[in-house]
Amino acid sequence: MRSAVRVGAIAGAVTIFLAAVGLIGNFTDLNLIGTQVTFAGLMILTPPLLAGYVAITPRVEAGRLIELGRGEALAAGATAGALAGVVFGAFVVFVDTFGVERIREVFINISPELMEYLTQGRTAIVAAAILVAVSVAAGAAGAGYRTLSDPIRRPLGTAVWVTLLFGFLQRIVPIALDQLDVERDWMYSKVTGGLTWVGAVVIAAVAAGASVLKARKGDAIRAAIKGQRDRRADGPRLTPLSFALMLVGLAVVLIAPHVLGSVISEVLGTVMVFALLGLGLNIVVGYAGLLDLGYVFFFTLGAYTLALLTGATLNTFVGSTEPAIAFNLNFYVAIPIVVLVAAGAGVLIGAPVLRLRGDYLALVTLGLGEMIVVLVTSPWLEPLVGGPQGMRDITDAAIGNFGFRDPKHFYYLAFAFVVLALFVSWRLANSRVGRAWTALREDEQVADAMGVSTTAYKLLAFAMGGAIGSVGGALFAVKIGSLTPASFTVLVSIQVLGIVILGGIGSLPGVITGSLVLVGLPGLLREFEEYRLLAYGAALVAVMLLRPAGLIPNVRRSRELKDEDREQDKWASDVAADEHAATPITPLGEGAG
Amino acid sequence: MKRRPWLTVIATVAALALVASACSNDDGGGDSGGGDTETAAADEFGTVEIAEGEPINIGSLLVISGADAALGQDSQNGAVLAADYLDGTFDGTDGQLLGHDIQWSHEDELCTAEGGQAGGTALSADPSIVAVIGTSCSSAALGVADTIMSEKGILLFSPSNTNPALTSEEAHQPFYARTAHNDRIQGAIVAEYALNEQGATKLATIHDESPYTQGLTAAAAVNFEAGDGTVTVQEQINSEDTDFKPLLRSIAEGDPDVLYAPVFVAACSLILKQAAEIMPDVTIMASDGCMSSDTLKNAGDAVDGVFLSSPDISVFQEGEFYSNEFIPAYEEQFGTEPTSVFHAHAFDATNVLFDAIEQVAVENDDGSLSIPRTALRDAVFATSGYEGLTGIITCTELGDCATDVTIGIFEGPNWPVEGGAKPDTPVYSDTKSLDDVL
Amino acid sequence: MSSSGSARTVDARLSGFATLPWRRIILVVLGATIAFVAVAGAYKTLTLPEGERYSGDFWIDQIVNGLGQGAILALIALGYTLVYGILRMINFAHGEVFMAGAFISFFFADAYLKSGFLDSNTYLALLILLVVSIAGSTLVAILLERIAYRPLRNAPRLVPLITAIGASLFIANAFRGFFGPQPYGYPLPTLLQGSIGIFGISVARVQLLVFVTAIVAMVALQLFVNRSRTGRSMRAVAEDSEIASLMGINVDRIVVITFIVGGILAGIAGLLFALTFQQVQFTMGFKPGIAAFTAAVLGGIGSIGGAALGGFVLGVLQAVGPPLLLTGFGIPSPFSLKDAFVFLVLILVLVFRPGGLLGSGEAEKV
Repeated sequence: MRSAVRVGAIAGAVTIFLAAVGLIGNFTDLNLIGTQVTFAGLMILTPPLLAGYVAITPRVEAGRLIELGRGEALAAGATAGALAGVVFGAFVVFVDTFGVERIREVFINISPELMEYLTQGRTAIVAAAILVAVSVAAGAAGAGYRTLSDPIRRPLGTAVWVTLLFGFLQRIVPIALDQLDVERDWMYSKVTGGLTWVGAVVIAAVAAGASVLKARKGDAIRAAIKGQRDRRADGPRLTPLSFALMLVGLAVVLIAPHVLGSVISEVLGTVMVFALLGLGLNIVVGYAGLLDLGYVFFFTLGAYTLALLTGATLNTFVGSTEPAIAFNLNFYVAIPIVVLVAAGAGVLIGAPVLRLRGDYLALVTLGLGEMIVVLVTSPWLEPLVGGPQGMRDITDAAIGNFGFRDPKHFYYLAFAFVVLALFVSWRLANSRVGRAWTALREDEQVADAMGVSTTAYKLLAFAMGGAIGSVGGALFAVKIGSLTPASFTVLVSIQVLGIVILGGIGSLPGVITGSLVLVGLPGLLREFEEYRLLAYGAALVAVMLLRPAGLIPNVRRSRELKDEDREQDKWASDVAADEHAATPITPLGEGAG
Repeated sequence: MKRRPWLTVIATVAALALVASACSNDDGGGDSGGGDTETAAADEFGTVEIAEGEPINIGSLLVISGADAALGQDSQNGAVLAADYLDGTFDGTDGQLLGHDIQWSHEDELCTAEGGQAGGTALSADPSIVAVIGTSCSSAALGVADTIMSEKGILLFSPSNTNPALTSEEAHQPFYARTAHNDRIQGAIVAEYALNEQGATKLATIHDESPYTQGLTAAAAVNFEAGDGTVTVQEQINSEDTDFKPLLRSIAEGDPDVLYAPVFVAACSLILKQAAEIMPDVTIMASDGCMSSDTLKNAGDAVDGVFLSSPDISVFQEGEFYSNEFIPAYEEQFGTEPTSVFHAHAFDATNVLFDAIEQVAVENDDGSLSIPRTALRDAVFATSGYEGLTGIITCTELGDCATDVTIGIFEGPNWPVEGGAKPDTPVYSDTKSLDDVL
Repeated sequence: MSSSGSARTVDARLSGFATLPWRRIILVVLGATIAFVAVAGAYKTLTLPEGERYSGDFWIDQIVNGLGQGAILALIALGYTLVYGILRMINFAHGEVFMAGAFISFFFADAYLKSGFLDSNTYLALLILLVVSIAGSTLVAILLERIAYRPLRNAPRLVPLITAIGASLFIANAFRGFFGPQPYGYPLPTLLQGSIGIFGISVARVQLLVFVTAIVAMVALQLFVNRSRTGRSMRAVAEDSEIASLMGINVDRIVVITFIVGGILAGIAGLLFALTFQQVQFTMGFKPGIAAFTAAVLGGIGSIGGAALGGFVLGVLQAVGPPLLLTGFGIPSPFSLKDAFVFLVLILVLVFRPGGLLGSGEAEKV
């Protein structure tokens, strides 16, 4: 019970935090389902719900696992919810008594609109009482959900999150449906903006059904697909079914832009550019264990080098001018040069600094990222790269008449390069070089003693990672056709690092998942742009605390992490236990784990 | 990895697609017109068909989040008010155009090229979008959104792009137009004021990493030199820096008469304060990026005697309509004073657009509406002598609709923003057209 | 098969590459080139024709200003160095700790300005502001340690560093959510406005206050670490936390105290920064944070004297370096390259003196 009280109080504080940064007050009109389920409502209910869920976590006492009975669990959940409600209710009463306008002078998001939403025209005390009641219910529901048996809980959970996801994607899915010429009014209401209840029920039913189906037949299907792969060590065998499935998968990937339309294709194009960056950084951070905080260096280098090699126009205040150095190479001739330049730059800047201790390397790379941004903006290099005005009309990577600037076409170009980069990364990981990197990452002294040339391998990692990243930059330039320094900031470095970390350090499917979650979702959920970085920061901290191996961990890597745990304290024992906590979304589920 | 949640996702999506396609209407009477309707032959880019009772869908592509949100939100408010005023009153409910409601599709361009591409793609993918009000930032339009829209034949009508390149001979895209003033004019008037009114012979400039400020200082410098002045230095800062004293001290070495620093609020307040300390005798000039009540609050006494150039709002205010009807409606509906000057340009752009739609739209017998895209563009470009809030609007072939621009110079603290001293009228004001300036 | 074959060849080539004393060759060539370029740049700048040349006063003013900047950087840098010394981790979010103090004290300063208290009772008001700023920074530092770092105490080193980056983003954007993205003007008491002359050099009163406060704080810190019992425990933990805990030192407590001390210094720096620039904004922590960390590394991370020295060196370098070395080469707008210049210097220092100016060379991993 004491833990329930504590968790509940924390949940209440979290709700107050959400209210104070505006996540409740600014989204009272964002309908997810009908007009009843709004984003603001979700923000109020989620903390007590989670509190109820967490409050009944089984705990170990004197070596015994203590699990609560259902009645006790519900009581604990309700207690946690009640506490959350009391804390938040007290906040509402306080704001009301103190005067919302006075508080707003400091906390700009504690607005009359927020209070109006929370009180719904009632007095603050009554509103607080209602909040407490609702929170109790939410807390109990959270606890109750956890006590359900698997066959009920999983479909329920899946149905809820899939439905909410479709509710969130209200801007994108209707466009995609329109482009497919599919009637969408039954599913998304033009009046509320969100899902209709009919649509929600259908989606929930389908999701639950799929989940049940998977639970029942999932193993059988998976076994049929995998065939003898598990039994035989000498590599995967293709069963007819898995072959057919791969063909279907390939076909889906290839027709995707036409099915999904240009808007989602455009987002996917950006996702793949960042996936390339992620794959490059994954070699540096994931494989070789070198922390690079300035990866925007290679992104910028690739983009601007490609622009100069293939021809572009500098923007000036009266129109345009030619860059001081300009070539007119074909994209496919230029891209190997870009790669070589980036690899060379990687070696050149890596050579003096790679012997530094990890933290120092982080700072130096951060500085390099900052430096290149300063340089491309500076008046000094303005005759070459256009300074703040940047450049435009970057030559398209067209093959014949087939241009790639159209988002649907760009998808294919980016896809080809992502596959190539995946292949290279995968081969590298399982090669001698990859093993040398692993040795380096795990214990440099030992690796050195074993005869691994640490500096050379570090340089190689830096060069390879830089090369792949520069391709990402080059594709970015082709995609947009216009470069200004505003696109190249330290946030790119952090975003790419986030992709690698969130997905799972050293894990290729992880990188793809990471880019989909960190680039794709924000691309589709533009309503939350103001809160993107806040969510990013929270996600980085949460992933490191709860799931340090990432959403889709690298198998070998997470084993290493676990080994370390055993000797150390109980840090991250959740890694072992909590394999089910996250629900990654990836259309490219296959990959070298 | 035992569980594969993505299986569920794929299964769900696939199942949904099946369900959805089963429910799709088979009568083929698609109402979301495109290139394949009958009238399409008449117009290269097709015709937007709007069925009876359906709204006319107008896009906006402005920066509505992030550091520059105030700029785009202000324009968006201006555009939305134009729809409100279709019925002749600002009453919070939209009027109708040819018997159809107006529906807005707001996209965010994030003030970057990639934002312009993402938002532009989203809007251009929707065949029901008639035209787009945007962008806020020139970098989102130049070579990005202007190209995307022009390829689809959708008019992109900007209330606040001021970058000269957008309407230059070599870069102008056929479906791009703007009601914002060209920076060349503002730069020229700044130079003219410094030369003639301040009697300056030496000018130093500071811009930041944004194309806007760089363009303005470049324009001012060129015109200043053309007037036989000397430009001592053109310095660049990073707008997130705080200590500009070393830079200002080095500028002071060149002993300029006027320092022109058209940077934005945060850096501007700091520069005003630090310059007042380091070079008290130098006249400081800035531009609309700095014109904000935040600057007045943050820079305190340092704004006294600082000259800001901005589109001359007193021109608007001579029209009773602007101060007596428009501004009160703005404040009532959005709960704030305007946060930039471009709400007026957005209001004008949207009204010019509505007029053009009225001109070219064909009202069919079944109550539906056909708007041919190229004809719409031509109608907007043919606008001449339209009396807007910002002055007379006449579009050139290259899409500059603010051809005669009045720029005022305001002396601090008498700035026309909340908290500014009265009278907030300009100490100098001049009207120039693009042909007058370099 | 083919892959392992080619990999072996690569490996052989790589080791051949590595056996040459490349590093030394590169270093010597690099060092000589840079020294030459720097001297040439400085010479050219100082011998520019009369009229284009900077005056003598110019250099003096730049140095004075640079020292003032450096004092603030040094205070923040001390926070990095303390945490690094104890936990061997970069507290990337320390810049936000600094921002928090300045930002929270703003609301008090603003209220005092409006009520007239700021000018009627300047000393008391400043003292309260100092306490508030320190309290704000310390609170954030404690929460940071408790929530984000403590559970990761024994995790691989990459993990807390990434957490710190996440925390930095989170705190900055939470402040943005609370108080909005716009800059707030921080009031300066009339007493601190204007400047006074010292040995014929005009120094702003604020700058003098910054300088004196920073020196006092640094001396106090040095005394605390060297003389007090807790300070000695801190040094013991920094030396070897396992042995320290065997000796009966409560490591958790020492870590918290370290964060508190770092928070106090950041709070002082925050107030001084706010008084110097009279403006606070949610982004204000990032750049000074990076600069201060650079200063800490420059001076030799883990060393208190090093952080102080690094701060002052960096402050002066930012003000003097670009005009001195770049103007001579005709590079336009030298100050726009300030950040690039500072990092270049950092990299060079690390290459030639990996331990920083006062360090022992321990940065090199062998």
